[in-house]
Amino acid sequence: MTTVASTYTFLTKRHGGLLTVIGLMVILALFGIFVSDRFSTINNATNIIEQSTALALVSLGQTLVVITGGIDLSIGSMVSLASVLLSGITKGDPTMMWVAIAVVLLLGIAVGLINAGATIWLGVHPLIVTLGMGAVLQGVTLLYTQAPIGKMPKDFSFLAYGRFLGIPVGALFTLLAFIATAWFLHKVPFGRYIYAVGDDAVGAKLMGLPRNRVLYFVYAFCGLTASIAAIFLVARLGVGQPYTGQNFTLTSITPVVVGGTLLSGGRGGVVGTLLGVYLVSLLNNLLNFLDLSTHYQLIVQGLIIIIAVSVYVENKRKV
Amino acid sequence: MSQTAENASAAPQGIQFKEIVRNYGIHLVLLVMIVLTAIISPQFLTSRNISNMLLQAAPLGIVVIGQVLVILVRGLDLSVASVMATAAVVATSFSGQDADAFPVFAVAIAIGIATGLVNGLLITKRNVSPFLATLATLTLLQGLRFAYTQGAPSGNVPPIYRVLGSQSFYGIPYNMMILAALAIVFSLILHKSTFGRQIYITGGNPVTARLVGINADRVTILCYVVSGALAALAGLILSGFVGIVDNWVGRGFELDSIVAAVMGGVALSGGRGSIIGGLLGAAIIIVVFNAVLMIGFPVQFQIIIKGLIIIIAAAFYVKKTY
Repeated sequence: MTTVASTYTFLTKRHGGLLTVIGLMVILALFGIFVSDRFSTINNATNIIEQSTALALVSLGQTLVVITGGIDLSIGSMVSLASVLLSGITKGDPTMMWVAIAVVLLLGIAVGLINAGATIWLGVHPLIVTLGMGAVLQGVTLLYTQAPIGKMPKDFSFLAYGRFLGIPVGALFTLLAFIATAWFLHKVPFGRYIYAVGDDAVGAKLMGLPRNRVLYFVYAFCGLTASIAAIFLVARLGVGQPYTGQNFTLTSITPVVVGGTLLSGGRGGVVGTLLGVYLVSLLNNLLNFLDLSTHYQLIVQGLIIIIAVSVYVENKRKV
Repeated sequence: MSQTAENASAAPQGIQFKEIVRNYGIHLVLLVMIVLTAIISPQFLTSRNISNMLLQAAPLGIVVIGQVLVILVRGLDLSVASVMATAAVVATSFSGQDADAFPVFAVAIAIGIATGLVNGLLITKRNVSPFLATLATLTLLQGLRFAYTQGAPSGNVPPIYRVLGSQSFYGIPYNMMILAALAIVFSLILHKSTFGRQIYITGGNPVTARLVGINADRVTILCYVVSGALAALAGLILSGFVGIVDNWVGRGFELDSIVAAVMGGVALSGGRGSIIGGLLGAAIIIVVFNAVLMIGFPVQFQIIIKGLIIIIAAAFYVKKTY
């Protein structure tokens, strides 16, 4: 009995928020089964996972940045720029495709390094730095093209629609990326530094932790995940568009917050974010089955944020 | 006052120069930009272009007043653009005649106030970060607006809003008069009334504010409410300026109003800055946008330059805290 009770308190104390998210997902799933026969099919489940690839990847990068107490608002523009460059450079040529992928990935890292550098050396809050960077990148994107541009080789859509052992390639990649990052955050010393810097920047500095290197790393990582998300998006859409990423800046924050990572930094993790991503996708999928237009998805998303922040803030106060 | 002057004269030359740049830098930047653009492009200082810039500046200026108040209490209001668009949709939702001008006004302002109230309550009572709280309300409001219009609003803006938003009285746009009146009223409140001083104390140090008996929560909530109401008003005026309403009237104003405030020396850490500063910041944005076109750069440079100036401006004013 005591073990059960202590396990229960351990679970609710440490992971109360995550359990709530899982509970919500179960309720939604039950509701979905009730609403439509087609909801509880393998096909629909893969669909939900498949469609959330890009959101999951940008949220992954965002989570690390938020753990350090920062935020990256340049993600959306980065996704847009990466997607037009990818198909614009490739122009249907399979050899150029590899060049384009390399360019896009390096660019994502470079933008992240600039974000971190400006934060560190100018002493400006990341909110402002990345807001400005987002505007710059969107402007550059529109200078490059104002309409969908270029095209990808036929095989490229494998990334979006291909299966590996029956699992969508994108979902598999996402899962591996999240597992690797979770392992890194919890088992590698540098991963622990990320939490330390976010929890108490001054304390971390006094302890001699490499605060600047941590910041360079998380923002570069965030830029990189945005670029990878763009690659998967282009694979799905077949072409890069200058406004593809526009919504990702703000939507990337929802799963992070729902997953229990606090904007004040130092707390949370990527597992919660992944659950947050699937919760959002599940909800959107369910709303589609209910024949409610995409407009209602926004209402629901706003409500989720409000509910989530209320739940977690309460938790932090108790601690 | 005289004491400050004495201190300044006693200080070494270098510091005095720095002080001048810090306090009047924005005036200089604005002046230099106007002169440079005028030299490069003769059309820049024509009465037609100036009147045009004033017309565009008014809605932004009105939003900036609210944004400044919110930033003064260590906040941030991302929901202003969404409130503006919603107010614009409201403007076309009635008969489109002048008889409905007042109901339109009342409903729009009520929506703005309600949004501000939710923002303020979440931030003070639930301890939610301003960024997240206003992000939530902006998303929520956007969804409600889309659901209401089913994606495509239609209908007319009452003619009186068209007049207020796009016409002038002896060369001075009506909307600029509204902005001037609001700027004076809110500057007086900020600098001469008890409530105004409470805003500065609350933003400067919330703990001190509480210890001296200020209801910091109420002050903060009121700032968000004012910001919401002003955003709604700006939305109505902007809908009168554009004439046609879609779901995105005021898009980008959240970013622009924050840029203006930061450029005008309003500290994101709270407690420092003024409405005049924010409005000068707004003037710089409008002049930059106009200059980009006048000089003949592609219009995309507007966004790039905006992004760069916000970072530079923030770096200029920053107190090395982060």
